[in-house]
Amino acid sequence: MELSEEQLLEIYRNMVRSRAFEELVIELMPQWKIPASWMSGIGQEGVVGALSTLLDGDYLTYTHRGAYYFICRGSDPRRLLAELYGKRTGYCGGKGGRHIADTAHKLFGKSGTIGGHAPLAVGMATAAQIRGEDAVVMSFFGDGASNRGTTHESMNLSAVWKLPVVWVCENNAWAGTTPVSLVTAATDIADLAGAYAIPGRSVDGNDVLAVYQAADEAVAHARAGNGPSLIELKTYRIREFAEAGPFPTGYRDPQEIEAWQRRDPIDRFRAELLGRGVLTDELVQEIARDAEAEMRAAEKFAEESEFPAPEDAFTDLYA
Amino acid sequence: MRTISFVEAMNEALLEEMRRDPSVFILGLGLHMSSKAPSLTAGLLEEFGEQRVRSIPISEPAIAGACVGAALAGMRPVAYFSLADFVICALDEILGKAGKWRYTHGAEGGMSVPLVFLQAMGGYTRSASEHSQSPLALYAHAPGLKIAAPTTPYDAKGLLKTAIRDDNPVAFFQHKLLGGSKGEVPEEEYCVPFGVAKVAREGDDVTVVATSYMVQLALQAASSLDERGVDVEVIDPLTIEPLDIERIVESVDKTGHLVVVDEDTERCGVGAEIAMQVMERAFGSLKAAPERVGNPNLPVPYSPVLEAAVLPSKEKIEEAILRTLTA
Repeated sequence: MELSEEQLLEIYRNMVRSRAFEELVIELMPQWKIPASWMSGIGQEGVVGALSTLLDGDYLTYTHRGAYYFICRGSDPRRLLAELYGKRTGYCGGKGGRHIADTAHKLFGKSGTIGGHAPLAVGMATAAQIRGEDAVVMSFFGDGASNRGTTHESMNLSAVWKLPVVWVCENNAWAGTTPVSLVTAATDIADLAGAYAIPGRSVDGNDVLAVYQAADEAVAHARAGNGPSLIELKTYRIREFAEAGPFPTGYRDPQEIEAWQRRDPIDRFRAELLGRGVLTDELVQEIARDAEAEMRAAEKFAEESEFPAPEDAFTDLYA
Repeated sequence: MRTISFVEAMNEALLEEMRRDPSVFILGLGLHMSSKAPSLTAGLLEEFGEQRVRSIPISEPAIAGACVGAALAGMRPVAYFSLADFVICALDEILGKAGKWRYTHGAEGGMSVPLVFLQAMGGYTRSASEHSQSPLALYAHAPGLKIAAPTTPYDAKGLLKTAIRDDNPVAFFQHKLLGGSKGEVPEEEYCVPFGVAKVAREGDDVTVVATSYMVQLALQAASSLDERGVDVEVIDPLTIEPLDIERIVESVDKTGHLVVVDEDTERCGVGAEIAMQVMERAFGSLKAAPERVGNPNLPVPYSPVLEAAVLPSKEKIEEAILRTLTA
């Protein structure tokens, strides 16, 4: 599908907003307002291309890394940040932290286990199928999760039941401190699709328009009732596994990181849109300023919000 | 009143609830085959079709997790896992996802996880360690789940209907030896509430708390002790979560003696929990230390002689009752 100028700008804007949110989170961590366990998706914003193919009624399951899922689906950065602060005004009233749910946008939350989302995505797609909705479920996972049995069981089940699922693997080359090639037999994770008799393809995950095109086809395939498919986004984790914590550093070749920084998805897309005349230098500045202002407002909101009361810990277990 | 079997009673509950609510659907092994013979799933496929009656692969985590996902998306799935032993493969989905999801992600958006994990449990079938477990404590130990373990066909039907209507995840246990057991079940519709214990037998001398097949063993022990002048009260909590501890305490206040019977491994078990709660609430009423009858923390062995040595029996319950009464 040919994207309009407006759509191209919307994609660019969401990439910038997502990064601005993450940069703020990283800035706040040394003050211990937010635990240092934030897992950054900086450099992986090409994912926005896939997210931009979804409609309002579509479902999404997300990984532990990055903020683009919420930002792109329309979640309020103020409530996202308040949740990371552990405040009452956060999306989960401070009980979830990075386990964020925004049910109004069909974001039902985060699994603490890698690969734990895949079965949930199958269930959401089954619900849509039984009810005869034309909604699709986009289920993200990483190269690490590609080695979980849940991922394989779920892909099989989605294929057997011809469910409207788009499996999107963000292969960022590293699972914790482990390079993907050391623990994953397949060179292309997209090749797993062959085992489940579904379409599979790998794309440059840092080329947001290539990601959009691949996802758009997969979403159309699912929405037409043709079942699931798998897309692998080849990308790279620029930052460490988590921002701080008991994780070793220095296990990667700095040249590898630098090489991927030169392929930054936002820089590339900006250059392309400037070349096409969709963006101007002034507009670039304006979008950056707006994103910064939006995130500073989120910070103010989170700062000024109250913590929950201790007795709130004893509510909500059962419906 | 008419008499039907435990699984027929459960089958009626499924049929009635699937008719009542189009968001209820069932997933299980072999459900692509229609079955005329009485069984848990008889008639479901014919009436509701393959969208709502889904035959599944042997993928316990995917199925359990799919139930959570479908529940979050507004459905009421019932997963029929053959044995409780196999459901252990899906503990992350059950304990980590089903049990914790609503609390973690906030109830604000109206989030709930209504689902039922149906499973058969128990030993006494010479099936050895991995086909004989009754892992109630595993579920009781984790926050956010409800646990039902009925003993009679009447309670099986009424509790299953309540489980399906409940907005929370429910682990529902059917003992293998009870599946064919018969009992009176009325034709008219009814539900049995969670958290209301049943007095399976009234007595004045000692309180025995037991669930599922253990209730039958306890009733047998009570009959035989009755001939020796010991009057045993048997309480069947029906659900472990919520637990009707008030009814149990009321009984202990009357009898002054407590025996808990639990087919599960007894360390950190449901029996231990019940005994502790009774001591917290009614220590002054106890005339002797409570007694436990359970699996003494062993894998269930195969040989009938060895299996009998490990699992609770009528005789072991009788001995425990006499021990606490003569202590």
